Amino acid sequence: MTQQRTHRTLLGIAAAAVLIATACAPSGGPSASSTTTTQETPVAGGRVIRGSFSDIRVLNPVISTDATSSQVISLMYDTLLNVDAKTGNPVPWLGKWTVSSDNLTYSWEIDAKANWSDGKPIIAEDYLARAKAVARSKLTTQKSSWNDVEGFNDYRDGKATSISGITIDSANPKKFTVKFGKSFCPALINVFGIAPIPAHVFGKYTVDNDPSKNIDTAPENAAPTAVSGPFKFKEWRKGDQVILSRNDGYWRGAPYLDEFVQKVVADSTVQAAQLKTGELTLGAIQPGDYDDLSKSDNLKLYEWKDNGYVYIGWRLNNPNVPALQDKRVRQALAYGLDMSQVVQSVVLGHGEKQIYHTPSVSWASPGTAGFQAYNFDATKAEQLIKDAGYTKGSDGFYAKDGKTLGWTIVTNQGNKTRETFLQVAAEQYKKIGVKINPKVEDFTTLVPKLTSGSNEIETIIIGWQLGTDPDPFSIWHSSNIATAAQAGNNFVGYNNPDVDKLIEQGRGPNCGQDVRKTAYAQMNKILNEDQPYNFGFSQNRILATDKRIRGIEPGSFSPDATWNVEKWWIKQ
Amino acid sequence: MRKYIIRRVLYAIPTLLGISVIVFAISRLAPGDPVRLYTFGATNITEEDIAALRHFYGLDQPLPIQYVTWLMNMLRGDFGKSLQYNQPAFALLMERLPATLQLAVLALVLQVGIGVPLGVIAALNRGGWVDNAVRFFGVVGHAIPQFWIGLLLIVLFAVNLHWLPSQGLLTIGKDVWDIPDRLKHILLPAFVLALAGVANYSRYLRTETLDVIAQDYVRTARAKGLRERTVVYVHALRNALIPVVTALGGILAALVSGALIVEQVFTWPGVGQLTYAAVRGKDYPLIMAGVMFASTMLVISYLLRDLAYARVDPRIKV
Repeated sequence: MTQQRTHRTLLGIAAAAVLIATACAPSGGPSASSTTTTQETPVAGGRVIRGSFSDIRVLNPVISTDATSSQVISLMYDTLLNVDAKTGNPVPWLGKWTVSSDNLTYSWEIDAKANWSDGKPIIAEDYLARAKAVARSKLTTQKSSWNDVEGFNDYRDGKATSISGITIDSANPKKFTVKFGKSFCPALINVFGIAPIPAHVFGKYTVDNDPSKNIDTAPENAAPTAVSGPFKFKEWRKGDQVILSRNDGYWRGAPYLDEFVQKVVADSTVQAAQLKTGELTLGAIQPGDYDDLSKSDNLKLYEWKDNGYVYIGWRLNNPNVPALQDKRVRQALAYGLDMSQVVQSVVLGHGEKQIYHTPSVSWASPGTAGFQAYNFDATKAEQLIKDAGYTKGSDGFYAKDGKTLGWTIVTNQGNKTRETFLQVAAEQYKKIGVKINPKVEDFTTLVPKLTSGSNEIETIIIGWQLGTDPDPFSIWHSSNIATAAQAGNNFVGYNNPDVDKLIEQGRGPNCGQDVRKTAYAQMNKILNEDQPYNFGFSQNRILATDKRIRGIEPGSFSPDATWNVEKWWIKQ
Repeated sequence: MRKYIIRRVLYAIPTLLGISVIVFAISRLAPGDPVRLYTFGATNITEEDIAALRHFYGLDQPLPIQYVTWLMNMLRGDFGKSLQYNQPAFALLMERLPATLQLAVLALVLQVGIGVPLGVIAALNRGGWVDNAVRFFGVVGHAIPQFWIGLLLIVLFAVNLHWLPSQGLLTIGKDVWDIPDRLKHILLPAFVLALAGVANYSRYLRTETLDVIAQDYVRTARAKGLRERTVVYVHALRNALIPVVTALGGILAALVSGALIVEQVFTWPGVGQLTYAAVRGKDYPLIMAGVMFASTMLVISYLLRDLAYARVDPRIKV
């Protein structure tokens, strides 16, 4: 059970690495309960204790790759731009920007009030320090985001002693420009939705004319000394807890809470117990704990839609399962699985059916009109299978040329939601004459098989936690098909030139939201028709908190709801 | 005596080397790849980035070379850097050691302090209900899985009764020297860790005491008119304890390895929890450091046992 969340959030690195902190405008999630906080006057003091299933590893945004660390980092480091917690739209945060008409040059000015916790102003040099640290770090996984920034790769390789595309205004140390070699819409969030790091702390670890020097072993990676976010680092008791304390000099105003503590708990059972006893005052919970915890007097639950989904991926390029290359079979598999019932039985109603890639919370979501909903219809499913040339045998399963229609569906062990989904799918598919062999496998062995396109994986139940920018390039573009020679997130081997073209269109040069939205709507239309996945469902996020904590306003683009943590307070 | 110790230490070297080869091979040959695991889902990462990371960690070398490199570094006291924490593996382990030792020592005290009297009392009341209860417990206590009884006790004492905390070293916000608070935290995990040992000791002691009580010298002692208390505690128990010392040998190591599960259930930030996380994350250097540490403890504890054995029973020469 320990892996349940870890693994879900591991999938979230896409999001976490791209943008860790989130959002700006006040917003409540779709089902966030409204509070009566308006009449109450916030008071300072108290601490929030959040449960986590794994310990943090590092506290430097440059080299963090795990979601647990990134969550804590986001409480200490503010990003240059942020996204609205509800809509996912980019909004100014530490800085505000303008962009040239060719979409190639971004001009930035950092807020005059923005200071590090040690009192020094946050300046363009600090952004540059981040860029240089990424370029020279051996541990970071963020280098590719910067590929299009002019001169970045030369600096990375030691061919240049500065990044030519980043220019700091000689008159105003808070102003700088970043020039891109080509227009690339997701760059806005990839390259600016990140936190500057204090140059006066980390600057010395990166040496312009010595590419072998980097920040990888800096002691401040585990104990930051100057931060830009609402909380400062206080102590990390490894394996047990990390304690953050209020940053009184926070540029947006000091938070009310004295401390924010993240504590390691064994698993969701223990976390639920600790929420009840009050040892924890905040924790993301699973649907199975909802009813139990909602009865607890000291707790309050928040629920909101997630920017992600759990799906069954049909391998289209695996010679062991040729049946899945037939679109009719895949459509039959959509009709033959009652997803409304799955949502009821697997996540107990805390979720919604998904019929194409983009989750409903995204600005890029095209809605449901004009899309095939694939409402449960066993007769239609069987008809489609028959159309594909299969006949039902005496054992109740369809077959063609002596081969039974069926395959293995694998999912990662320990994730209860996915394991239950797998069971339900296997049962329901049996009813339409498709023989499923359910299998669970440890996440650590599953991942390499997936990303290397191993034929051992016939079909898979797994999930996507999506990034803030809706660009689906890494998941659906044919250049990202997972093979032994090249890792990719296109595990299913989906290869459609029309979809490739639409995805490329969404990446630029025209970055207007309406233009991108149109491209993604067309892409979703094709995916909805093609059914390379059974798109499964999107599971809601549920947060259990001590009911005295006020000011929480969750949104789908702030997965842990801490985007406005400086406004949280505890009613005495 | 000194010669004996030196010889034993020399014997330990091939043992530890053998263990290192086996663990190294198992951890590396098991499917899974730490670099892919850490970078899974990262949208912008390229195959070159992954290759560079693998090179950085030295994972692109042939396995025998990786092993020799590891061995050479280890001999110089360098266990390498944890892949997950990017910090020296041995230092990480040592940071966690005090927590594990606290737990192991208290568990040992509980094992002996509860197990020994239980066994003696059972033997002295042979056939009575106390004896039956102890014997029943001797089987059940040994058979119950630690994670299960751990969770059960958490539900009972933490969730329902609110008597004890369920997790961690101490209450958040309390001073690290707040001894009563720490005791409250350590009680449940130490008890769970001790449980199997308590059961073992009570069974051992019961059998041994019954054995010894039937001996001639005990009858002689009784015949001399000594008080029953003196007979049992001075004459019988001392001899009954010899096999207990034998059993002590495996205990140090058993406590360290048993702590793996207990520490996981109670989120006790010790060596076991760290090693567990290392295995989960395919953190090779940390796995090796953790296993080598536990193996060394085992070798040392066997040595100590043999020395103690000679001490308790003068008939045995080393």
